[in-house]
Amino acid sequence: MRLQWKLTVASLKMFTRQKEAIVWTMLLPLFMVFLFGFVSFEGMEKIQFGVSGAENEPAARLVGRLGEVRTVQVNRGAESAELEQLEAGKRHLVLVLPQGFDPAGKQELRVLVNDGTPEETQMGLLILRKVLDDATFGVQSAPDRIPMAIQSVASRRSSYIDFLLPGVLSLAIMQSGIFGVAFGFVSLRKRGVLRRLSVTPMKPQDFIAAQVAMRLIVLLAQIVVLVGVGILFFDLQFMGRLLDLFAMGLLGGAVFLAIGFFLAGIARTEDQVVPLANVVSLPMMLLSGVFFSRANLPEPVRVVTEFFPLTYLADGMRSIVLEGSTLPALWLQLVGLGLWSILSVWAAVRVFRWE
Amino acid sequence: MFQTGVSVSPVILAVNNLCKRYGELVAVDRVSFSVHRQEIFGILGPNGAGKTSTLEMIETLRPIDAGTVILDGLDVSSHPRQVQQRIGVQLQSASFFEKLNLKELLLLLGELYGRVVDPMELLSEVDLQDRAKAQVEQLSGGQQQRFSIAASLVNDPLLVFLDEPTTGLDPQARRHLWGVIRRIRSEGKTVVLTTHYMEEAEELCDRVAIMDRGRIVADAPPRTLIGDLLASGFKKERVERLANLEDVFLHLTGHALQED
Ligand SMILES: Nc1ncnc2c1ncn2[C@@H]1O[C@H](COP(=O)(O)OP(=O)(O)OP(=O)(O)O)[C@@H](O)[C@H]1O
Ligand SMILES: [Mg+2]
Repeated sequence: MRLQWKLTVASLKMFTRQKEAIVWTMLLPLFMVFLFGFVSFEGMEKIQFGVSGAENEPAARLVGRLGEVRTVQVNRGAESAELEQLEAGKRHLVLVLPQGFDPAGKQELRVLVNDGTPEETQMGLLILRKVLDDATFGVQSAPDRIPMAIQSVASRRSSYIDFLLPGVLSLAIMQSGIFGVAFGFVSLRKRGVLRRLSVTPMKPQDFIAAQVAMRLIVLLAQIVVLVGVGILFFDLQFMGRLLDLFAMGLLGGAVFLAIGFFLAGIARTEDQVVPLANVVSLPMMLLSGVFFSRANLPEPVRVVTEFFPLTYLADGMRSIVLEGSTLPALWLQLVGLGLWSILSVWAAVRVFRWE
Repeated sequence: MFQTGVSVSPVILAVNNLCKRYGELVAVDRVSFSVHRQEIFGILGPNGAGKTSTLEMIETLRPIDAGTVILDGLDVSSHPRQVQQRIGVQLQSASFFEKLNLKELLLLLGELYGRVVDPMELLSEVDLQDRAKAQVEQLSGGQQQRFSIAASLVNDPLLVFLDEPTTGLDPQARRHLWGVIRRIRSEGKTVVLTTHYMEEAEELCDRVAIMDRGRIVADAPPRTLIGDLLASGFKKERVERLANLEDVFLHLTGHALQED
């Protein structure tokens, strides 16, 4: 135990004395949040409509028309569920259709709108008005407008930073796991440090355990720093518990550390490590919903990316940060990461070489 | 915890018919020699003779293909951990962790043997006490070699292996290192080293083994080898000068020890 402790402390010393390491693990993610936070991508998001109530034929036709509008995404659900989503900032508007909806009937439609997203709400109302007018025009010669009762609902102001920060945090955990371990180990091997260690009675697993411990400590520091800076400087609405974030982060970290050891096993030189690590990490970085919602991906791609470890981690972290989810609610992400960690540890053990 | 073995024996290391193959190449071919306690034993030989391969098999770093190595009464292939506790190793090419200073490195290496070492004492043994806060990359070549020797002493070993400790050093730095090696021997340790410098072997070693193409071709004290050669009727083609270039160099740059 004493040996592992001393090795971990020494590894942390080596890590913190390396300027590049601090830049990669802490400053670069912060810079990403900063940069992307100011270049707002909110305009690219679809307007999220919730629709509840009548499900008769004219209602279905109306919903179909609404769904045909390119910038609109329709989500059907019970009124209470949709209202919850609205309050959580996941819907811009919720349309409640009265029972026995009939375009000619002039029944009043209730529309609940998100008061935190005025632009999307406004746009959504305009689109809805147009679709309703078209519908009434089809059945009535004199276009009598269907009245709308608009009701504003206090909702979470869900900003892009809230979406972005947990994603970037997950990305940072992945990068420092994969690159830090793979590059660090291959370099220790190539410079002959591991050889020098193997004439001592130290067991390789003691050294690996210390490396893992050091990386996990750095990971917790990454979480604290990114969330802390987010709250202090970017007005991050942190709804969850730090402990849940730690637990999810550690599980994700385990996956990516194991992938790092796997790559250190198959790469012979430092030159081989970087492309290998990029092959593994780039698709995840771009497609796991770190910067943009995966909802906008083409369907087959979206389904495949569902199973990426970074997707599980980013979704889990985001759900904790944005919605205050606790671990039991995130069982899907936990199981996904758990399976990935078993797979990657198994693969790492198979190919890992000390020398 | 230590099994003392037959520590009364004057032979601390007995190598018997040791072999190493790399594919077709027989790098070490039935090598046998033994080293006595408190000896400075030199292994000489041209590049590729098999010196490093031989040492690294004894040091538990490479698997032994055939033959036996008994170190302080312990068979190396069956008791690698106990052997590792008893030996100090300087490798021909190896480096240490970056970003730790000399003191921290020695403390950490000591921990690997389950020991709490006094880093300053080790550093002063190799005359590096002034550089305790430096990192290895900031040292000169000679200082790095001396640090590497200090690092091989953290576990207070019985037997120290030094693979080409003076290669690449200037004559003064080399002489400085001879002093360090003699000091280690005077503390009761045994030293096995390899070198390409004949005058170094002659000056420093009690006994040398000369290796060529994987085999030992001679094993005796340097004086005996020279005596045997002369007795066989050997005559130098050119009469030895009374001084050589190395003497000139040492004379001009100061024979006394300088900080390199
Ligand atoms: N890992 C290896 N794989 C294949 N061949 C090797 C390996 N290590 C050494 N050899 C070969 O074995 C022979 C002996 O090498 P070794 O390093 O033991 O020689 P050496 O006497 O220490 O040489 P030098 O004086 O150059 O250090 C050489 O021909 C070398 O090319
Ligand atoms: Mg050699």
